[in-house]
Amino acid sequence: MIRLRSVSKEYERRTILSALDLQIDAGEFVFLTGPSGAGKTTLLRLLYAAERPTEGEVWVAGRRVDEMMGSRLPLLRRKIGVIFQDFKLLRRKTVLENITFVLRIHGVAPREAHRRAMKVLRRLGLQHRQAALPDALSGGEQQRVAIARALAYQPRLILADEPTGNLDADLASELLSLLCDINYQGATVLVATHDQAILESIPARTLVLHQGQVHYDGMWPP
Amino acid sequence: MIRHAVAEGLVVLRERAAVSVVLALALGMPIALAGVGLTLHHWLGPMAGLSGEKSSVAVLLRPRLEPSERRRWIADLSTEHPDWDISEVSSRDLAERLQRWFPYLEDLMDSGDAALPPLVEILTDNPDSVAVLEERSEVLAIGPRSSIQQTLGQVARRLALIVGVVSGVLLAGALLLAAVWVHLELYRHADEVIIMRLVGATEATIRGPFLVAVALPGLVAGVLSAVGSVATVAGLSRLTTALGLSAMSIPPTILVAQVATGVLLPVLAAIITLARHAADAIEG
Repeated sequence: MIRLRSVSKEYERRTILSALDLQIDAGEFVFLTGPSGAGKTTLLRLLYAAERPTEGEVWVAGRRVDEMMGSRLPLLRRKIGVIFQDFKLLRRKTVLENITFVLRIHGVAPREAHRRAMKVLRRLGLQHRQAALPDALSGGEQQRVAIARALAYQPRLILADEPTGNLDADLASELLSLLCDINYQGATVLVATHDQAILESIPARTLVLHQGQVHYDGMWPP
Repeated sequence: MIRHAVAEGLVVLRERAAVSVVLALALGMPIALAGVGLTLHHWLGPMAGLSGEKSSVAVLLRPRLEPSERRRWIADLSTEHPDWDISEVSSRDLAERLQRWFPYLEDLMDSGDAALPPLVEILTDNPDSVAVLEERSEVLAIGPRSSIQQTLGQVARRLALIVGVVSGVLLAGALLLAAVWVHLELYRHADEVIIMRLVGATEATIRGPFLVAVALPGLVAGVLSAVGSVATVAGLSRLTTALGLSAMSIPPTILVAQVATGVLLPVLAAIITLARHAADAIEG
């Protein structure tokens, strides 16, 4: 599902990722961890083509994304559900509209989009907040809306950047179990986190990034 | 995604109602002016010889002249007066030209095309010289050829030039306004554009609302300018008929062109602006 070959990324002569090789197979559940600035977010951004590597190849779902033309990026991104660290919700749209909008650009008919959005909102306990604007929600609620949006169209790959950062322990645990369910249904899940409790809650393959390279690749704790 | 583009475009318009009204007025005025100018040009053209510095004089021939005789007569006349540009009015345009040149023949025109006498138009820089034809047996009547015609032609030409330049400048200003507005709206919505791209929206989905936001004021401008032109031309027509000149009417093609210009030009300005700046506004 994901393959990186000798991937390097530099910002203003500062190396973020250095000759990184990585393979994640379809259906895997993987944690990506490491200290702040280790390159977790950059790695995720390379996967959904918000960044291009300075060197190397990035392959996602059989497509080389680092050379992909801009006009083809929407098709790639529709295969990926991204849970952003800063939520990236549309401020002028309600909770329900934030989700139906994504479904509509995936070609889902309005009525079906509404049905699916309500289903995922119920699953995340947000059905009573469907008409609220994002700014009226708490951080945790906004996080759950971002998750709902990423899950609504049942993507083959889910990339989550610190998805539990704004959630209390119960909600974080609930979210992880949700991601596990989705992984059980066949989706590949890559979760970037520095939360030790999260890492220890599920036995899963864990990649530790350090100084731009994979420092550890195996089950956690080592 | 058309529904999305329309819905989001309407949101942009609601948020910036004042700008959209100003844009509609800014677009509508030059388009209306150009429409009236073109109608005037169309109406004055055959009378005042707008194609150059010359004036046109109409000569009504006797109906009994056979087509071959008419052609020979025109050929002889061309040889005799090489400075005249002589052309016979086609049967298709005959009724309209007769009404314009000889409005007092209204009764004759009501009797049907078959009874209409042949008409030639002579383009010359000395309309009074056409008076020599009055004594010819083939000639029934000669249309107005006073120097007023020449003055009218000169005024009309200058008026057309002024109207064209003023309309062009105002239209360019309106299009600049549309482009700047789209540019500002794009940056105001930059966060949303980034998010839309990251969740897989295509360029058409992203840019559609901005195009709708300029197309709708453009449509309003086009329709208002067409209505305004019709009203102005109707007023001018009452004036010309009161002066014994032919009635004026706005050709339907001009009305269609006004509406199309109102919609298409601001959309084109928006497309160019979006193509130049959309990528800058978005990181992903």
